[in-house]
This record gives sequence, structure tokens and C-alpha cells, in this order.
Amino acid sequence: MQFLYFDPGLGAMIAQAVVAAVAGVLMFSKNIVYKIKVLLGLAKKNDIYDDIDISDSDLENESKSDK
Amino acid sequence: MINKKNHSASFRDPSGYIFIDQGVVKRRINPIYFDQYKALKEKELFKKLFSASWLVKHKEVFSDDSQIIIEPEHIPFVTYPYEWSFGQFKEAALLTLKIQKFCLDNDMSLKDASAFNVTFFKGKAIFIDTLSFDFYQDNEPWRAFKQFVSHFLGPLLLARYHGASVLNSLINYIDGVPVKILSSMLPSKTKLNPFVYSNVHLLAKYEDEYKADYKGKTKKSTLSKKAQLNIIKTLYDFIKKIELKEQSEWGDYYNKINYSKSAFEQKSKIINQWIRDLKIKTLIDIGGNDGTFVRRIDTDLEQALICDIDNNAVGHNYKILKDNGETYITPFVLDMLNPSPAIGFNNKERDSFLERIKGFKPDITLALAVIHHMTLSGNIPFVMSAEFFASFSNCLIIEFPKRKDSWVERLLNAKREFKEHFNFYNIESFEEAYIESFDIVEKQEIKDSERVMYLLKNKNA
Repeated sequence: MQFLYFDPGLGAMIAQAVVAAVAGVLMFSKNIVYKIKVLLGLAKKNDIYDDIDISDSDLENESKSDK
Repeated sequence: MINKKNHSASFRDPSGYIFIDQGVVKRRINPIYFDQYKALKEKELFKKLFSASWLVKHKEVFSDDSQIIIEPEHIPFVTYPYEWSFGQFKEAALLTLKIQKFCLDNDMSLKDASAFNVTFFKGKAIFIDTLSFDFYQDNEPWRAFKQFVSHFLGPLLLARYHGASVLNSLINYIDGVPVKILSSMLPSKTKLNPFVYSNVHLLAKYEDEYKADYKGKTKKSTLSKKAQLNIIKTLYDFIKKIELKEQSEWGDYYNKINYSKSAFEQKSKIINQWIRDLKIKTLIDIGGNDGTFVRRIDTDLEQALICDIDNNAVGHNYKILKDNGETYITPFVLDMLNPSPAIGFNNKERDSFLERIKGFKPDITLALAVIHHMTLSGNIPFVMSAEFFASFSNCLIIEFPKRKDSWVERLLNAKREFKEHFNFYNIESFEEAYIESFDIVEKQEIKDSERVMYLLKNKNA
């Protein structure tokens, strides 16, 4: 059973379809830009914050999560 | 076990509530949430969230058919979103997204995304609402999406364009900044950014369009899990990169100060000596800037709270803490002339700063180079500042800059024709007022400067 104790906003639920479509395009284009940067050796890593893709084994290692 | 009365901040979610049992914070889980709780436990999701330090640890202390009681780990001092620096805010937002991604990977979903679900503990953002997890329903959009925008993305964008101090105005929005206000406050050029346009402006437009549909005529929308993951990932990548536009001022603070290196060293030595003698374990540094003097303390502290009015100084402090991997420091933003009030229903949902600091009971309070600001910028009479410090401090280390100190001169000159109204600003009146609340334990002049250090003990302690 699912229950809700605040209004998620009907508009917000519908808007997510558009938000997701834009997100898809952004990810696709960023991926291409990133690949080009890697090819040219320009890609760099962000320091303080992790990437969102964290594996289960990383999760067990506390030091991985935002220091 | 009889039903306990819920804590005044814990009533929104029917899944359960927080209560205080003989001074210990506990959480009751209602049968309505048993399925979710058991799933999280059996699938070892709690275990994984604990080991990553994403979620506050808890242990189950009671369980029957009508209730489950858990006891979360004690967090000595809870800070609220309107007391965070920009960097802390960012980390809290990213943590929420990481948890949502983790949930989706495990067929769960966060049912809310309030910034109040997060606080700071042991040098990291930590999620504290154990009952925020629900089952993921196939093809359902993220119900907490709008809340995430109102509580996290929106405020971060506002800070990006209007400065980090905007974050401290969130005190007016316990339910997050309404998307319509966000949309109108952001510069028009942000409409050209497809990410900001879709996540904020378009969201506000849709919300406006559908708000009149009371009868639920509009058909339920769907969204694949893949599409929701794309939203989460782009939010994450965007927030990770978001930076403040403004130049921060903390940078050369200690270069701008008006005393010599030897005076600085001496001040630090006096503090260390007193802290060591009193075997201090917990403290609060009021107006502690980036935490320089606390970091120079050479004995082991259990918990040091360092607050400052300047969001950027707190941000810098937090960055140093991250770089050093410190776990005993909690930096936060506080204007001591206007400390965070209690807010929410009955004015009891979020405690005031004074309420929380009295609960924390620091062994000592440091007030270094703040009394002249309180007295001369804030016009706070000595008696009143003494009462303020005495309300939560057993001991107080306070630094008094004399009238000849260049900062004091500057502040006095800014008073122009009213300068003589501040003739009371002198060491005799200071002592006279403070001995009403405190006993002077020690007093030391800092050589080569116009400053005096006091170690005071509360008369009522």
C-alpha cells in the first residue's frame, strides 16, 4: 500500500514527463561531449562530491561517500 | 508498552513519530508502515545505508503487532537548512538524490524530499528520517519531485544568482520555496537553460495550470523508471557543478585583522591553556569565522560547534573540515543578533537556536572578537550580552578589544555625532556588567595588542 501525506502536485507529476525528456537529451549530448573530451585528454574529475553511480561494494566502504 | 506522546516536530507522516523517552529520542513505527520497514530490514537496505553513513543508524528496541520502536543514534546538535552554508546545502541535496537513486535500484522510492530530512553529523550530511522510504510503484513519477525542487534545487539556484545569504531566508519557507516564487525570482536568462527551464519554470507553469483540478479529472501520469533515473542523474550532475557567483570575503580575513603574529599566537596559547586546564570536551565558538582558533586547540574535543554570520566563512570552514576529514566540528550560520527562532506549527516544529544550545550544554563558549560588534554594531548593552551568554554557557572565554583597538575605533567613528553615546564602551563597564552573571576566573592582556582575554564562570553553574 502506498500512502501520501502531502500533495505532490498534479502539475509536478505531469511536468516530469517533459523534465525527463529534456534530461534524456542533456545526458545524451553530455555523453558525446565527454567522449570527445576524453579523446582529447581534457576530461577531469570533480574532487569533493561523489558520482551518483555507486556500487554496493562502494556503499560498504564509508570513505567513498563524500569523504 | 503505552503510547507515548509524539514530539512536537513529528506529526506530519502517519507512518510513525518521534518521542522522547527519559531524555532519549525514539521513533515509533505504526502498523501502516510495517511492510515498508520489514522490507528495508530484510533486504538489508538499512544495513547498506548505515554502512555508507547516509542514514542515521538505529536499533530496534521493541516490537509487537501494534508498534515497533526504534532508537536512532544520538545527534548532539541538529542544524537546520537555513543554517547551512552553500556547500553544506549542496551536499544535503546530493545526498537526497543518491538515496533516491539507491532506492530506485532497490525498488523503493523516497516519499518525501524535505531538506529537514537531512542534518550534519560527524562532518557529513546525514539523512535522519528513517520512515521516508516507500515501495516504488511501476511507472509512477517521483512524488517528491516538486518538494525536491522547492527545498533544494530552487534555493541553490537562488543562491547562485543572489548570493549565499539567500539560503538563510529559507526560515520563511518550512515547506520549501514555492515553485512560482522560484520561477519569478530567477533571472529571465535562466529560461534559456533547458535544464533550469524544465525543472523550475515549466514546473511552475504546469503547477499553475493544474492547481484548479480539484475533482481529479486529469488522468494519472506515468513515467518509466529509466526516465525517472534520467531526471535524478541530471539533477545530480547539475547540482554537483553549481557554484556561487559572488566572491567570498573570508579569504584574507586573518590577513586583514589588526594584530601581529605574536599577538595571534599568544591569543591561541591562552585559549589552549584554559581549555586544557578545564578539560573541555564540548564547545561552541560564536562568531568563529572559519574555525581557525578551534583548530589550533591541541586537546581532543568531542564536539565543537562553530557558527558565524557569514555564509561564506562557514562554507570555508566546511571545506577545511572536508579536506581534513574532521568529524568533531559542526559549522553553521548564525546571526547572534538574531538567532534562529522556533518555527512551524505551534512554533514547535523546529527549535530555536537557544533551545538547542541549552540542550547541547557546551562545556565552554568562545566569544573571540565579537563583543565590540555586538555592542557597537548591534547596540547591545553589556548587561544584555552577558545575559545572553550566561543563558547557555557554564564557562565563557571572551576577548575584549579596548577603545584604542583599530576595529573599535572604526566602529566608533562610524557612529559619527552619536559617538559619545558609546562612551560606556570601556573595560570597566564591561567588567561591571559581566560580573553580574559571571565570576572572573582569569584575565590576561594580549601583549602587543589592545585586547584582553577573560575566562569567566557562570555564577549559576
